[in-house]
Amino acid sequence: MALTTAPGPTPRTGPVGPRPTRRGAGRTRLGEGLAGYVFLSPWLIGLMGITAVPMLLSLWLSFTDYDILTPLSEVRWVGLANYERMFTADPSYWHAVRVTLTFALVAVPLKLAAALGVALLLNRTWRGVGLFRGLFYLPSLLGGSVALAIVWVNMFNRDGAFNSFLALFGIEGLPWVADPDWALETLMVLAIWQFGAPMVIFLAGLKQVPTELYEAAAVDGAGAWRRFRAVTLPMLSPVIFFNLVLETIHGFQGFTAAFVLSNGTGGPVDSTLMYTLKLYIAGFTDLEMGYASAMAWVFLLAIALITAVFFSTGRFWVHYSDGEDA
Amino acid sequence: MHPATSPTAGAPAGREHRTPLTRRRFVRGLAAVALAAPLALGAAACGDDSGGGDGGPVKLSVFWWGGEARAKLTEDALALYTKKHPDVTFEKTWQANQGYFDKLATLTAGGNPPDLFQIDDNYLAEYAGRSTTLDLGSYRDSGKLDVSKFPKSLLEYGVVDGKLAGVAAGENTQGLVYNKTLLTKNGLPEPRTGMSWEEHIAWAEQVAKKTKVPGTQDPSADYKALWVWLRQQGKDLYKGKELGFTVEDVTKWFALWKGARDAGATPTADVIHQGNATDITKQLVVTGKAATSWVWANQMPDLKKNTKDELGVVAYPGDPSAQWARASMYWSVFKGSKHRDVAVDVINFLNNDPEAVALLGTDRGLPSNTDLRAKVSETATDPAMKQSIQVESELAQKFGPSPQVPIKGHSKVKAELTKAAENAQYGRATPAQAAEQFVTACKAAIA
Repeated sequence: MALTTAPGPTPRTGPVGPRPTRRGAGRTRLGEGLAGYVFLSPWLIGLMGITAVPMLLSLWLSFTDYDILTPLSEVRWVGLANYERMFTADPSYWHAVRVTLTFALVAVPLKLAAALGVALLLNRTWRGVGLFRGLFYLPSLLGGSVALAIVWVNMFNRDGAFNSFLALFGIEGLPWVADPDWALETLMVLAIWQFGAPMVIFLAGLKQVPTELYEAAAVDGAGAWRRFRAVTLPMLSPVIFFNLVLETIHGFQGFTAAFVLSNGTGGPVDSTLMYTLKLYIAGFTDLEMGYASAMAWVFLLAIALITAVFFSTGRFWVHYSDGEDA
Repeated sequence: MHPATSPTAGAPAGREHRTPLTRRRFVRGLAAVALAAPLALGAAACGDDSGGGDGGPVKLSVFWWGGEARAKLTEDALALYTKKHPDVTFEKTWQANQGYFDKLATLTAGGNPPDLFQIDDNYLAEYAGRSTTLDLGSYRDSGKLDVSKFPKSLLEYGVVDGKLAGVAAGENTQGLVYNKTLLTKNGLPEPRTGMSWEEHIAWAEQVAKKTKVPGTQDPSADYKALWVWLRQQGKDLYKGKELGFTVEDVTKWFALWKGARDAGATPTADVIHQGNATDITKQLVVTGKAATSWVWANQMPDLKKNTKDELGVVAYPGDPSAQWARASMYWSVFKGSKHRDVAVDVINFLNNDPEAVALLGTDRGLPSNTDLRAKVSETATDPAMKQSIQVESELAQKFGPSPQVPIKGHSKVKAELTKAAENAQYGRATPAQAAEQFVTACKAAIA
């Protein structure tokens, strides 16, 4: 879905100019409005029923002791107790926060670096480049799939393919996924490997960079590195920004692979207890849905905050050229 | 799909193009739908509370976990019920154990729980404590639910806070399953019921030395092993709403297994971790990573399907009277079910009808009805099943009284035990530290 969003500057939408308010056209406008709503209705019903109502419900539930089994009409209001417990009385909550931050801080930059690096290599015209683009993109198509996670776990256990490969060089591998010191790293590698989606967006961004800039830079005597620093990076900065925001959010929400690797427990010894997994366990295993709802809202706010930080720092390094040129 | 949603799409709008009200009316309609949809769901949840409501065709929803074999047997038994009661049909749903309780909880929350469902002691108190299960006491007293042939302790193991929350669908007990082929090939003795824990570990060490296969899975993360061990020390897992053990007890337990690991009687921590999964196919005795696994005795036939080797089963080490007639799983009725009486009658049928019990065999454990249990044992043909029946029947004579059903918060206690034990196994904590961590976490979990 991210792919459909065109990178680069967003066209200014919103209230554009004075609307043609023709006198006496009120009825037609109503008719048109109605038609609009009818066409929108699948989306509206979806938004209301699947997103908005449950979201608001979960906000309310986060202040209650809802346990799934008790009917909603009988839940007890507990005020801020769930939030208090999260911040003061649940060490494994902070552990989950640490795990998630570690995961995102390592996996996201590396994934973006890999995506950009490969995009630069594939942004040339040589025979078969299309095939390589396809191949590099392939892992992303599999997305957060369960099947992929299962394959990954089997590749990285003690008797897995990866250790067999290491054995060729006489190296004795570790039980990666069953080792509390390496399980999370294994998940990071999986996330990084799926760099295809940001790569394609980088590729599209690279195509937008006017070749004259490179030619001018070359004439001025800039080497490859200098051209990359002074032309590619600034010109690509809106795309980098877009990918950074998207992948960070994505990174924080990692769930499937951790769930599969640990059989839904976050093990070994909580090493893969991602925030979303902790939330899931609270809600569905421990039947503390009120507490889980509180966690979800803190999570939402945290992600919103991080995104806001990105946007506020963005103006210092994101360079939109179209405004002046076009 | 909900009838409440259908009258939306611009119903009144059609002809009258000109009425200025359409838009407002439409928006209002939309709002009504948004409100009505959850209401309709809620209403469905409440159902009409007419209790019995028998007579006339009844469609009873039944939900259980298990494999295909169990599904086949259960479907046959239910079909038999329909044959005898043509007005009762079933809507059957089943799935693997993993994720079953998530689904059950979600169905309950969605106001669409099954009338009749399978549940185990890990969750019985959670459901009963929230009045999700119907108290079957009155049916027992009126004789509509015949439990006269049930072992007393098995029946009592379905009582939560004085209410009969579940009826045992079968009986099992803890079983130590070992690889017989491996032992006989190497001329090693088989484990016996009644060996002490130290003897078991010494035996496992001997197996490891001779066969290079660790003699035993380290069960320190396994609540059912800890539970038996605690009962042998005169303690218990729970006492009322409290923990039935102290930090010192757990320290001893963790230290016992640290000794076993250091002696090479168990596999390494990462292999133990894999064996800690509840999945049958991952048990070390069938993956060949250890000579023994700590399971439930009725899992023997399923384990056998995953290995070519011969398997044997004995009680956990120590005094076997610490084990009890555990309901391998229960049948419970949803309290808000419209067809409670029918649901209870089906439970009665599945437990006491000779034909149904013969059909179901020992898939859910030994039949709860002891008369029929004897018959099923005589006719069993599967050797693994025969053996597990024989061992369980032997042990049944030594069973002690049942403990109380695990309390609310048990799922967290189980998870915390795994975490603490693995911390000790990976050498990240001493037994004392791990025990301290476990007990502190448990106290928070059940508070």
